[in-house]
Amino acid sequence: MSTPASPSVMSALSPRDTAESRDRRAELAEIDESTSGTVLLFFLAGMAWLLIGTLFALIASYKLHSPEFLNQYAWLTFGRIRTAHLNAVIFGFSAEVAVGVVLWLMCRLCRVPLMAQSVINAAAIFWNVGLVIGIGGILRGDTTGIEYLELPKYATPILFVAFALIAVWTIVVFRFRRERHLYVSQWYILAAVLWFPWLYSTAQLLLVLEPARGTVQAAVNWWFGHNVLGLWFTPIGLAAIYYFLPKVIGRPIHSYYLSVLGFWTLALFYNWNGFHHLVGGPFPAWMITISIVASVMMVIPVVSTAINHHFTMVGHFGKLKYSPTLRFIVFGAVSYTISSLQGVLSSVRWFSEVAHFTHHTVAHAHWGMYAFFTMTMFGSMYYILPRITQREWPSERLISLHFWCTALGIILYVVPLSYGGWLQGKAMLNATTPFLEVVQGTLPWLKIRTVSGLLLALGHVAFFANLIWLLARRFGPYRQPEPMILAGVTPAAPVGK
Amino acid sequence: MGIISFILIGSSLVFPAVAVWALWWAGRNGQLSHSDKAALLPFDEQEPVGRMTDVVLNRPRALVSGSGRISS
Amino acid sequence: MNYGPLLFLGILFTLAGSWFGLVLMPNRQLGDLQPHVNTNTAAIYPQPIPGEAAQGREVYRSLGCNYCHTQQVRPDGFGSDIQRGWGKRRSVARDYIYQKPVMLGSSRTGPDLTNIGERQPSYDWHFTHLYNPQTTSKGSIMPSYAYLFDVRKIGYGGASTNALKLSGDFSPGPGFEVVPKPEAVQLVEYLRSLKSSVELPEAPLPKAE
Ligand code: HEC
Repeated sequence: MSTPASPSVMSALSPRDTAESRDRRAELAEIDESTSGTVLLFFLAGMAWLLIGTLFALIASYKLHSPEFLNQYAWLTFGRIRTAHLNAVIFGFSAEVAVGVVLWLMCRLCRVPLMAQSVINAAAIFWNVGLVIGIGGILRGDTTGIEYLELPKYATPILFVAFALIAVWTIVVFRFRRERHLYVSQWYILAAVLWFPWLYSTAQLLLVLEPARGTVQAAVNWWFGHNVLGLWFTPIGLAAIYYFLPKVIGRPIHSYYLSVLGFWTLALFYNWNGFHHLVGGPFPAWMITISIVASVMMVIPVVSTAINHHFTMVGHFGKLKYSPTLRFIVFGAVSYTISSLQGVLSSVRWFSEVAHFTHHTVAHAHWGMYAFFTMTMFGSMYYILPRITQREWPSERLISLHFWCTALGIILYVVPLSYGGWLQGKAMLNATTPFLEVVQGTLPWLKIRTVSGLLLALGHVAFFANLIWLLARRFGPYRQPEPMILAGVTPAAPVGK
Repeated sequence: MGIISFILIGSSLVFPAVAVWALWWAGRNGQLSHSDKAALLPFDEQEPVGRMTDVVLNRPRALVSGSGRISS
Repeated sequence: MNYGPLLFLGILFTLAGSWFGLVLMPNRQLGDLQPHVNTNTAAIYPQPIPGEAAQGREVYRSLGCNYCHTQQVRPDGFGSDIQRGWGKRRSVARDYIYQKPVMLGSSRTGPDLTNIGERQPSYDWHFTHLYNPQTTSKGSIMPSYAYLFDVRKIGYGGASTNALKLSGDFSPGPGFEVVPKPEAVQLVEYLRSLKSSVELPEAPLPKAE
């Protein structure tokens, strides 16, 4: 590609300089600065969990086609390491990076500095202590045995306190906002931080502390399990997309009304989806049907959001060449659409009859949590980190490596495994196919999955290295001078405008 | 079953009613007008509409010195 | 222009809706299901599982068997669960009233175990399978649970009665034997307790043809 850079790209490199803009800039810089310690804390802890979680994932994935691997220790057995992986990447990586993004976005959009950082830093520490104890507990065998809520009950109260603090802080920032107008991202964030404590406390109460009777547990389990994705990660991912997409390309969101529609329909339908995980299960028909209907209704928010994002991007795709944030965010946005529509399909009975209980479901979970959410969070971090550290990314190469490894890696993960899972489901439906033959049929797909996991791991290491390098430039002994592009007001460069 | 259907029917009346009321109330308070202005919130003087931010990769030659960093 | 209150209300009400519909209502409908008493035989079903099996259930949970095995039989005509012998009838809510936690499972990397106690009642089979699944099921991807067993020297009194009958590559070598630890015994008691053959009014056994 050798298209000449568009005017807006050139002007990004030589911003205007007036007294007023300097003030505004100073305010923004002050806000970014106020969040820096806390956001860094969440990002770094999150990234550490990502690396740990990736290692767990590789072990689990390898075991699934080569069960003799590391099979002499109970704590490394598939049932535990897989679970430790899930909790490390969901509650360690995804949730913590999400909180970092939430705090930064909230402060920026509300135009207030982050207050009393020590309290929220304490929340970060609580959270991580709780997780270390909890994941250690899972490896020891203290799991609750409830999907997405495996962390043992001696760890979850700590997590809950941390989470409550985070929610309260987000609302405090909101309460003291200087900017009275609200942006789409803020709705999503507020919704997420209010929904999650409710979900988590209900689930803890009815499943762990005072378990409900029989299959009611399974109902609550999937109400929670699906909503962690639908009402916590999805809104935060969308909040990030709604902010960074327009911000990077320099063009307001295509239709504000479509985003309103997208938000309220998501709020209305997503939280009824959970029971599509129970199709064919021991429940009265109305419960399953209501969730299938709500799942199909999800087409409305998904399609309206997709249209909105697409028309915002139209004519600006050339900018993908320059911005790492944009690359990851666009990848995430497109994945959101695809994985959501695939989710709609998976909830329908005839599809579920085949794909339920197979690796297809695992692939779908990774479309959502990785291709959409994780990629979106990577994109957000690429934008936020230079601005809170006042340093540029040290290596373009590592950025590209990160992008291509994760983008290709997750495609290599999801596409073959979805297909392989479908074949597995088909084979299982035929009662004359011996079960071991079904098992053997999944092996090639499971092996491809391990390869894709290696690619993803390489991408994560590249990102982590770049991050550490960046921090070394900021805090290390050989500090670099401030780079011009982020310093805000700079002498105009000779080219452009 | 009696109490269940009572709650179901009751709630299916009450919830939409409250929703409609909230919408009406929001409209009367002017909460629904001029909302497209809010789309401009991410932008400001320094980073106005029309200016790309986050130009990190493949920067135009003219602005880049040897190391891939921008010269001033 | 201030969206705040509207937003808060909306956020609250939307989740309240599903909390109501997907948490409260199921709890109302299924939350106090009672066991069924057969009027002819006075047999009560289901019953809490006895001590050793209950401990075995904890082993099952702790090792995460539920990530590869489901315990739910889908209805006749929906999937091939019944044809594969995973259960005599579909599972219904009443089957689970004594389970804490309910481990329906979401993945069938391995077969459903709702009815394993009937399909495979043999202690020996289960022990050797758990010790190393390749013994009974060549090509399985189920992990070995050898740490639930002791490998020890055969004492003066000769081999223990509960020693596993292992041959070829799987044998621990001359003069040694493999015996199950208590956890392994509990786990197998649990597996043997899993049965789905009792008829319920809401879930009759499909007619045999
Ligand atoms: C990695 C996935 C995996 C895990 C974890 C796993 N299994 Fe399995 N299991 C399988 C597979 C695959 C089969 C089918 C092949 C075979 O018989 O080994 C199977 C078969 C079985 C069978 C025989 C079922 C039949 O119908 O013949 C039993 C019983 C069993 N597993 C019990 C357990 C127990 C108990 C645990 C936990 C301690 C466990 N499994 C953990 C994958 C797994």
